[in-house]
Amino acid sequence: MSKLSLQNAILTYEQLETTPSKKDNIPEELEDELRRLGCDFIQSAGIVLRLPQVAMATAQVLFQRFFYVASLKKFSVRDIGMGALFLASKVSESPCKIRDLINVYNYLIRRYRNEPNEPLEYLGQVFYEMKDALVIAEMQILKKLGFNVHVQLPYGLMVNYLKVLELTDHETIPQKAWGYLNDSLRTNVYVCYQPATIACAVIWLAARIAQVKLPTSPPWWELFEAELEDMENISRHIMRLYAIRLPSNLPLSLDELEDYLKNYEDRRKSGINEINEINDNKDDLGPAPMVTM
Amino acid sequence: MENQGYSPVECIDDNNLEKNNTPEVQLTETPKTKTKKSKWESESDNDSESEQRFSKKRRKKIQDSEVDEHSQPETTESIRRLKVSNEDPFNQSPSTRSISPIAEPINDMSISSTPSPTPESTTQSFEERIIKSTPTPLPPMLTGCRSVDNYEKLNRIEEGAYGVVFRARDKATGEVVALKKLKLDKEKNGFPITSLREVHTLLLAKHPNIVNVREIVVGETLTQIFIVMDFIEHDLKSLMEDMQVPFLQSEVKTIMLQLLSAVAMLHDNWIIHRDLKTSNLLLNNRGQIKVADFGLARKYGSPLGPMTELVVTLWYRAPELLLGTKKYSTAVDMWSVGCIFGELVNKEPLLPGRTEIDQLTKIFKLLGMPNEKIWPGFSKLPHAKNIPFIKQSHNTLRSRFPYLTENGFDLIAKLLTYDPSKRITAEEALKHPYFTESPLPKDPEMFPTWPSKGGGERRKSYTSPSAPNVAHGVEKLDEEDQTLLGSIFENQGGNDYGFRLKI
Repeated sequence: MSKLSLQNAILTYEQLETTPSKKDNIPEELEDELRRLGCDFIQSAGIVLRLPQVAMATAQVLFQRFFYVASLKKFSVRDIGMGALFLASKVSESPCKIRDLINVYNYLIRRYRNEPNEPLEYLGQVFYEMKDALVIAEMQILKKLGFNVHVQLPYGLMVNYLKVLELTDHETIPQKAWGYLNDSLRTNVYVCYQPATIACAVIWLAARIAQVKLPTSPPWWELFEAELEDMENISRHIMRLYAIRLPSNLPLSLDELEDYLKNYEDRRKSGINEINEINDNKDDLGPAPMVTM
Repeated sequence: MENQGYSPVECIDDNNLEKNNTPEVQLTETPKTKTKKSKWESESDNDSESEQRFSKKRRKKIQDSEVDEHSQPETTESIRRLKVSNEDPFNQSPSTRSISPIAEPINDMSISSTPSPTPESTTQSFEERIIKSTPTPLPPMLTGCRSVDNYEKLNRIEEGAYGVVFRARDKATGEVVALKKLKLDKEKNGFPITSLREVHTLLLAKHPNIVNVREIVVGETLTQIFIVMDFIEHDLKSLMEDMQVPFLQSEVKTIMLQLLSAVAMLHDNWIIHRDLKTSNLLLNNRGQIKVADFGLARKYGSPLGPMTELVVTLWYRAPELLLGTKKYSTAVDMWSVGCIFGELVNKEPLLPGRTEIDQLTKIFKLLGMPNEKIWPGFSKLPHAKNIPFIKQSHNTLRSRFPYLTENGFDLIAKLLTYDPSKRITAEEALKHPYFTESPLPKDPEMFPTWPSKGGGERRKSYTSPSAPNVAHGVEKLDEEDQTLLGSIFENQGGNDYGFRLKI
């Protein structure tokens, strides 16, 4: 009896290089930031909603995939983020309520904007607008991804690999590798590599940072059919996350994006200044504190 | 992220160097413990402060000495390790050795583009632990749904509880397909989770006896979603309604084997179908059974989580579901398979209850009243106290199947076992002697054909000249003759009856 699997879609080089947003004249740098921001929101919202990590992981992969077939100018980070998390919660058999999800997003957006927290008006107009946007976003994700919404995740594989490498009892490696997996969701590695390679890469990286030597003759990763070059690449993507901080004024809705793009260069400069200020602020919604799971 | 200017490989070497002063000593030390975990780790966990103070010159010297060593012809494990460590990209770029800002390791990684070390021959002990994986097929492309306009609607086949099924033709290839339209109009919670499960399980469950889903297409509005499946001519329920005699034993066996094989595969992949019944079993004109309608299917896990007990069409619903259990498993499908088996043999539903109470009463009358002895845990089920007690202590199943062989009866009795934990599994049922005794299962290719209702074909009279149909046009045959008929086209292990035409 053969084991079945639904393999993850892997992008062609062309799809990766010429994203729909790029064709819509959105700067590459901004697209990267918006992707990360969207994933940040999904991960945080999932934690607040007490969803399993599988749901957040699936949602982030769906979010990343979606913006390789649709443009950020047509779909907002907020709506697709909500839609992806809602859909992923159902896919991972832990459905959340639309109302809860909208309230959490409202809270997170206000926090990101440094606005005082104010709950949405019950049955108010804003709520209904967000609800409609969420339902439409969910359908759009399904449609644009051809219903390929079942994502293979590397968590289980990684645990098995750790077992084979006899690393499960190590003090830091399993936790670190797990954290890297969570963080790697904010990058595009899930649309470039199969889960096995990603699982190897995070172990490789975690072992490297913990300064633990793994068998190199033969190289252990070859047994899991990973390539050194791919693992290095994935590690680079992950490490880059920690080097760059997100500005706090990124656009979340389509209107905001339009404004943002109007004087992109000016905003860029002010944004950079802002980053420097924010770096001292521990309460900001940057990537590092959000990985605690 | 912390600075990670040193590769772990390098650190081990450094530490050993400090202790032993010469790399040669390390050569003799490492092989002894090479498989132990402790040796994979560096001896001092993080003494990076002092290491970082190492001068470049010193490091250069170490590297040189390593190069010298592995230029020797020896091929000990440790040399290979050193060799690899030398090839390690981190060691090659000198900038890794400086205390670098956060971003720098990334740059270092990008510089290093050395090929991965070549695999070594003596890899047995390590590789043994990993199951060789089969070459993976090419990953799918990321493409959106096509439009329903790629298909031309022919006729409506049926309207199910939550969707309409159309027959349609693929405009590009001319193939006839079935389009199942999902009902989404009244959904308050976005895309229904049941449809997600259906799509998922159909994609997961690629099996010759499970209906093949081709793609999902969308209509003009977002609420028009169609699942495109292969068009299958018949469903077993309406087919049996039109047949005058039951399926032959050989045909029943073929159908059951195919059904069990599909169910075994689903269960093996942690999927419960939860709505097996004759109207969800499709039969094509090549004698192949296709399990369809995964609208209630879902994945289950271990340990079992609570699931709704309101599943499975009443007639095929297992007693534990009727008694309100929320933690059930694949055994509910096996009960349905038992009901289907009985229906195939007798050409009438085995337990056609009108209400849930009536359904339970019918089960109890057929199989006797369950008790704690034959079904431990029975009295603790939620509805166990609210059910009517039936004075029926013994099992009357045999009288319902007078013509079934001992093996056949044994199989249905095992499928209709009260205690879900004792009920036969699909895997076990496939090996049941019923399938290896005479009459043997009929080759699917030898199955009779019928006009397709869904295809809009008119049913002809049973006296049509096509040979296989004749078997079903005859008045009820006795068991022996069915055996013969089933065997006409088969080679039953030397027991050759020759060609007999029975009209």
